[in-house]
Amino acid sequence: MLCENCKERPATFHVVEITDGEKREVHLCEQCARDKKVALPPSLSLNEILSSLMEAHAEKDVPELSDVACPDCGMTYAEFRRTGRLGCQRDYAIFEKALLPFLEKIQGATNHKGKTPRRATQDTGQATELLRLRRELNDAIASERYEEAAKLRDSIRALREGQ
Amino acid sequence: MDLGKLARHAGEWLRGTGADSDIVISCRIRLARNVPDFPFTARCTAAQKTELAEILSEKVLDADIGEGAEYLPLDNLEEVDCLFLVARHLISKDHAEAEGAHGVAFDIRETTSVMINEEDHLRIQAFRSGFHLEDTWAAIDALDNRISERTEYAFSERLGYLTACPPNIGTGMRASVMLHLPALGMTKQIEQVVQAVQKMGLVVRGLYGEGTQASGSLYQISNQRTLGKSEMEIVENISSTVPTIMTMERKTRRALMDRSRDKLEDKIWRSLGLLRSARVVSSGETLEHLSHLRLGVNLRLVDRLDSATVNQLFILTLPAHLQKIEGRVLEPTQRDVVRANFIRETLGEQ
Repeated sequence: MLCENCKERPATFHVVEITDGEKREVHLCEQCARDKKVALPPSLSLNEILSSLMEAHAEKDVPELSDVACPDCGMTYAEFRRTGRLGCQRDYAIFEKALLPFLEKIQGATNHKGKTPRRATQDTGQATELLRLRRELNDAIASERYEEAAKLRDSIRALREGQ
Repeated sequence: MDLGKLARHAGEWLRGTGADSDIVISCRIRLARNVPDFPFTARCTAAQKTELAEILSEKVLDADIGEGAEYLPLDNLEEVDCLFLVARHLISKDHAEAEGAHGVAFDIRETTSVMINEEDHLRIQAFRSGFHLEDTWAAIDALDNRISERTEYAFSERLGYLTACPPNIGTGMRASVMLHLPALGMTKQIEQVVQAVQKMGLVVRGLYGEGTQASGSLYQISNQRTLGKSEMEIVENISSTVPTIMTMERKTRRALMDRSRDKLEDKIWRSLGLLRSARVVSSGETLEHLSHLRLGVNLRLVDRLDSATVNQLFILTLPAHLQKIEGRVLEPTQRDVVRANFIRETLGEQ
């Protein structure tokens, strides 16, 4: 049987659609089934499930955080709750008040036990500065302020080479 | 790296050797790491991803990840090649679909892989065939140290290794053991085992991880939590749970041999007969019969076949591998024919 959409490839997805009580069989090839977003078994990733759970679990009312955005990456707590992802390492400090009870819930702990890196971040001040400069560089490029962008690029280079 | 060459054999984790390899297929540990100075991958601009990939691929290769290691950028790789790497567990599904500069470094034996610009800047993985979780940890711990001598990691004294997703924070570690449990499946005891394992704070998943159903009676057991327990504690928790499951599976295999050997032999030989004769076979059907065959080889009910051959078929018959071996894109119906041909060739047609 050929796919009823493209009429080229063999149909490998056979679906029964019920619209207003009327039954209709649809036969599609893999490609068309994917394009039409039908017939494919749902593939929920663990992250999707986690983030929806997170939205339910993450502290709902942390009023002092509602207007806070990370100065480095621009992440807000509302966005974290929606995506389940943080934007940069500094978010852990900025949203600590809400994250700690949340970690307690999902991890059952709030303190790391285990190895430490050979070279941990020694100077977070410098790391933060680099993040800020990069963000400004992106803004400058986006709004076509190229002279400023060139200066920012040089500052980033100088800071990295000084590391 | 010539992926076509890899396609003809399976990597380290399907060698089918090592301790308890009648039940334990392989061990895998992955560590999530990020570097400071950059936002987490999802928030990086295209330029930042390119910069990260350049810097990190160099540092990772310099840290010596094994013989013949190479970095493979995935941004412009064909979909079939990406799926091929997913099937070999060298990259994740998400990594195969990622946008912007991203890639993977791995050694020729496929004992180590390091994904760059996955959800975290670095996802370091180590694999071993058989039940060698401690060795796997020793290897990845040493590699992680070598990388961290070359680059800083985002780390906090209190929360440990900082990751893009809070479920990975702390050790950033996911340790897993892949088990073949056909007898527990045949006797419908697997559900209870899964429930008991979950009560130990461990997660049970199918062959291809997140959200995949256990097919071919292959199950992965891994830790759920990453914070508040040291890496060794996580390894020990899994290492002490697995032998109990192995004992249950072996007892059930013996019981099946004692009480219903005829039925068991029949099932196994029918599977071998089917695989040696079929002209069209789907991947689901293949997994089911390979699982019987693997049991037959391990119980010495089937001779003239070794477990490495059967293990390899588990992976070489997946769509991405068949297409790689054939060197062309195959429609689902063509795949089933090519798969049947390939299996008959490997097992020796009757």
